[in-house]
Amino acid sequence: MPCLMGIAVRKSMTKPKKEKISAAELSQPQVEKFLRLSNLSKGYIEGKQRRLVLDKTSVTIYKGEFVAILGRSGSGKTTLLNLISGIDVADEGQIYLNGWNLSALNDMKRTLYRRQNIGFIFQFFNLIPTLTVWENIALPLELNGKLDKEGVQRGEQLLEAVGLLDRRNAFPDLLSGGEQQRVAIARALVHNPSLVLADEPTGNLDEERGRQVLELIDELTRSSGKNLILVTHNPEAASYADRVLFLQDGKLEEQPRLSS
Amino acid sequence: MKVSFFPHNLWRQSWRYLAKNRWQSALMVLGIAIGVAVVVAIDIANTSAARAFDLSKEAVAGKATHQIVAGPDGIDDAFYTRLRRDGIVQQAAPIIDTYVSSPQMGSRPFELLGIDPFADGDFRQYLSQGQTIPIEQLIAFLTRPGAILVSNETASRYQLSLGSSLTLEIAGKQQLVFVAGILEPADALSRQTLEGMIITDIATAQEITGRLGSLDRIDLILPPDSQRQVIQQIEGILPQGYQVVSTASRSASINQMTEAFRLNLSALSLLALMVGLFLIYNTMTFSVVRRRTLYGLLRCLGVTRREIISMVLVEAFVVGVLGSALGIGLGILMGRQTVHMVTQTINDLYYTTTVQAVGIPPASLLKGGILGVIATGLTALFPALEASSVPARLALSRSGLERKARYIVFWLAGAGILLIGLGQGFFLIPGSSLFLGFGGTVATLLGFAMESAVALIFLMVLVRPVMGKTLGMLGKMAPSNLVSNLSRTSVAVASLMVAVAVVVGMTLMISSFRSSVETWLKETLQGDIYISTPSFIQTGSSEAIDPAVISMVEAESGALRVDTLRTVRVDAQQGPVTLNATENPDFGVERLYRQLSIPKDQVWDRLNLGEVLVTEALANRFDLYQPGSQVTLMSAAGWRTFPVMGIIYEYTSSEGSIWMAESVYRDYWNDSGQNSISLRLADGVDVNQEVTYLQDTLSAIQQLNIRSNVTLRSDVMQVFDRTFAITNAMRLLATIVAFIGVLNTSMLLQMEKQRELGILRALGLTKLQLWKLVLLESGLMGLVSGFLAAPTGYMLAVILVDVINKRSFNWTLHLLPTPWVFGQGWIIAIIAAILAGIYPAWRLNQMAAADAIRYE
Repeated sequence: MPCLMGIAVRKSMTKPKKEKISAAELSQPQVEKFLRLSNLSKGYIEGKQRRLVLDKTSVTIYKGEFVAILGRSGSGKTTLLNLISGIDVADEGQIYLNGWNLSALNDMKRTLYRRQNIGFIFQFFNLIPTLTVWENIALPLELNGKLDKEGVQRGEQLLEAVGLLDRRNAFPDLLSGGEQQRVAIARALVHNPSLVLADEPTGNLDEERGRQVLELIDELTRSSGKNLILVTHNPEAASYADRVLFLQDGKLEEQPRLSS
Repeated sequence: MKVSFFPHNLWRQSWRYLAKNRWQSALMVLGIAIGVAVVVAIDIANTSAARAFDLSKEAVAGKATHQIVAGPDGIDDAFYTRLRRDGIVQQAAPIIDTYVSSPQMGSRPFELLGIDPFADGDFRQYLSQGQTIPIEQLIAFLTRPGAILVSNETASRYQLSLGSSLTLEIAGKQQLVFVAGILEPADALSRQTLEGMIITDIATAQEITGRLGSLDRIDLILPPDSQRQVIQQIEGILPQGYQVVSTASRSASINQMTEAFRLNLSALSLLALMVGLFLIYNTMTFSVVRRRTLYGLLRCLGVTRREIISMVLVEAFVVGVLGSALGIGLGILMGRQTVHMVTQTINDLYYTTTVQAVGIPPASLLKGGILGVIATGLTALFPALEASSVPARLALSRSGLERKARYIVFWLAGAGILLIGLGQGFFLIPGSSLFLGFGGTVATLLGFAMESAVALIFLMVLVRPVMGKTLGMLGKMAPSNLVSNLSRTSVAVASLMVAVAVVVGMTLMISSFRSSVETWLKETLQGDIYISTPSFIQTGSSEAIDPAVISMVEAESGALRVDTLRTVRVDAQQGPVTLNATENPDFGVERLYRQLSIPKDQVWDRLNLGEVLVTEALANRFDLYQPGSQVTLMSAAGWRTFPVMGIIYEYTSSEGSIWMAESVYRDYWNDSGQNSISLRLADGVDVNQEVTYLQDTLSAIQQLNIRSNVTLRSDVMQVFDRTFAITNAMRLLATIVAFIGVLNTSMLLQMEKQRELGILRALGLTKLQLWKLVLLESGLMGLVSGFLAAPTGYMLAVILVDVINKRSFNWTLHLLPTPWVFGQGWIIAIIAAILAGIYPAWRLNQMAAADAIRYE
């Protein structure tokens, strides 16, 4: 009954377009599934040809998992993140994220969903240069209307956790790469999203800093039970994950967990 | 979910971006400020001119509802006596109304109003209310010849006191008067009204003006419930040639004269604002394009499209408010000079205004401010929509932007052609609406601007091989760089093109106008010397030349031929018109015709048979182009109809005039005066010496304007140069804004490319080569802008000449597309672009290559 109610709730919130959830899946407690990609395809027009980046790929990610997606450059890792976050729309297939059918939402609803539920960590940090460290971190709280006492407290805790409390009034151009990325981590977590997406977060850092950043991301997300999807081409970065998926030829395949 | 409606940090980053890029922000503000300043200054001038007219009208007409008027002879004052005696009208006042000047009062025009103080109290209350003139002053005013009243402001300004003597100059003659009383206006309105007036007793006015036994008009206040009845009674006893007219309709027809001129100025000021707006569009687009990555990032963080649009529009609003505030201040400063220029033109072409200063109307400031803010917001709408419409994924990739830019180029060009077509379509709509005219102008300009991108691509494809051969690697790189940065360079080119096109269009219009007037003057001014009574309005005077002067001139030995001209104001059924009566038998062959159905050499005979010629402006006003057209004028013998045989070109008045033979004029009007003489000298007589001789000889009889043909032509051209002084000022402003726009663009472009240019420096590009590259790119942008500005400017000139000018002034100008004007536009574009590239080139060279390529 709870699973049927869950389906009913999901139907009322979205307009499920195509597939039904299979019987085998129905038998699993729905609360454990966090993200399901179902026959997802995405391609781009390059000149006169269409390049298929994702080719009917499917995967299920469970609540609280840290999943790494490995693949060489140009394999479609960033595209996959864009689809999961609602930045882009798949050509075919469905994305079910935490009870929502993202594929059925319009741009506004996807944006609002992203605002509330997703935190982003980019390769090139992407801090807003005209805002201070604190203002960058507080921005997601403001966007969600949560810049109250509790929100401020949470932001400061995160700022402390990333070790930059004393740099709260500095502008990003005065920070090192590692410091900027730590601010980006705090920004990605401050509004308590259910999912954190990290796109090559250590790609622009040296080995030592990269390791520190990965450990920080791992610690902060695991301790709060969030899902984390890390996209990387670095096997060592992937070793922090619970699961590693390999993206090749447009399809996601399970890789054996690599030892660290 | 509760969301923040006004996330402070979102706006904070916007504000800091504006502050950080202070040069670009300042240039944006300046662009808007210049546009708003022009709009405000023109509006102040127009409002002041209109207000001055209203004040003059109120001052002179007062509370009169109607007036009895007659032809050039005026009204016999015996008729006024009869009117009062018969008791038909309870409130009637005789009036003499003319313009005088005095060397002791700055030689500026004053309106001389001769009144009957006993009858005038109901009409002009500023003369009676609140005035406590001491009895001795009143007695002096009523009894002593030459007594005048002036306001306390006039007295103070020119240091006059009771008993001060003045010399008044009227129609070249001098009259001695004295200040019998000083009026103390009761309020600000009265003070402004009286400032340009001199009041005399009616008898004194008749003596001063030489109109003994005659009045200019009789003012009436008719009871509203029985107006028609009373008018009928008055008309029952009116002598022939007199008529009763409504004061309101008379004022309206005079006001209408300048309405088109003022509307034309307002529309030109909007054109100047449009140039400023292109600068805004240019800079805002750059600002948005530069921050595409930021917008993409914000979209990733969950900022909606609407919030991004709001952000960009709020930035524009801030710029608009700052720019408009600055513009209002500049406009007030410019307004004073503009009022002077507009008033001068109105005096030159239409009627005399005596009100000197009217103040700064708050409505003008508000209008300019609101227009600036709204226009900035609307201009920023497109960049705002662009910023919001790009998917977050693409915004993180620059190559996506340039792909998109190239993709839409041809769609944009197609849309531009449609817009040009739409603009031309506006002109085909029948009617004389200036709004439609300017709507078509704006659409045409925008349409051409949208061709910038495709023109840039094609021209760079053409020049690249040539430049590669002549200038080597740099010659190939510069055109390629412009095309590869199409999203930025096309906007810059469009912005510069619009500004230069406005300069080219206005220059073509002004030069064509000058040429048309010069040709007209050359054909029509055949005399060697011209003599006329002085007038405060350049288009002529109704005051007569002393007959003794005419006799002396006719007797002058050096004179081969003497032709006289009488110019008067008469009433047509459509309103007052200027009537010229000539005795020049060559008049028909000397004129340039817009329309004539008979040979030129037959014109004089037909004039003597009672037909008339009208000027083009009048033909447009009264719709006299059809065969068989007629004009009906109030003569001394009542209404008379005159067939129109042709339409001539004339540029002295946009109101237009009628030309008839003097013999016909004398038949219908009891007026033997002349106010202009044309003198043709015998061979061998020196013109300048003759002018000097006549000035010395005739001054004893009457002060007259005695000018050689050359001097008169020069004076007429000065009038027309003054008429276009404001247009010239706007042309200069458009050039300044063009330079600001391209400077801004160059700086932004080169700053954006500092990493790329740093890499080139690191690879071995010398500083000199960097200079060359930057200046080449700037120069090429100027080249494309100038190339596009030529046809756009020509189209604009066609619109200004054939549509706007005609609808404003009723004149035909012959467009002369002088090659030099197009070349000038091209040169302005290239020089402006190259000069604008100097500073960015210098800055880039100051930067070390390592700094430039370091990741920011």
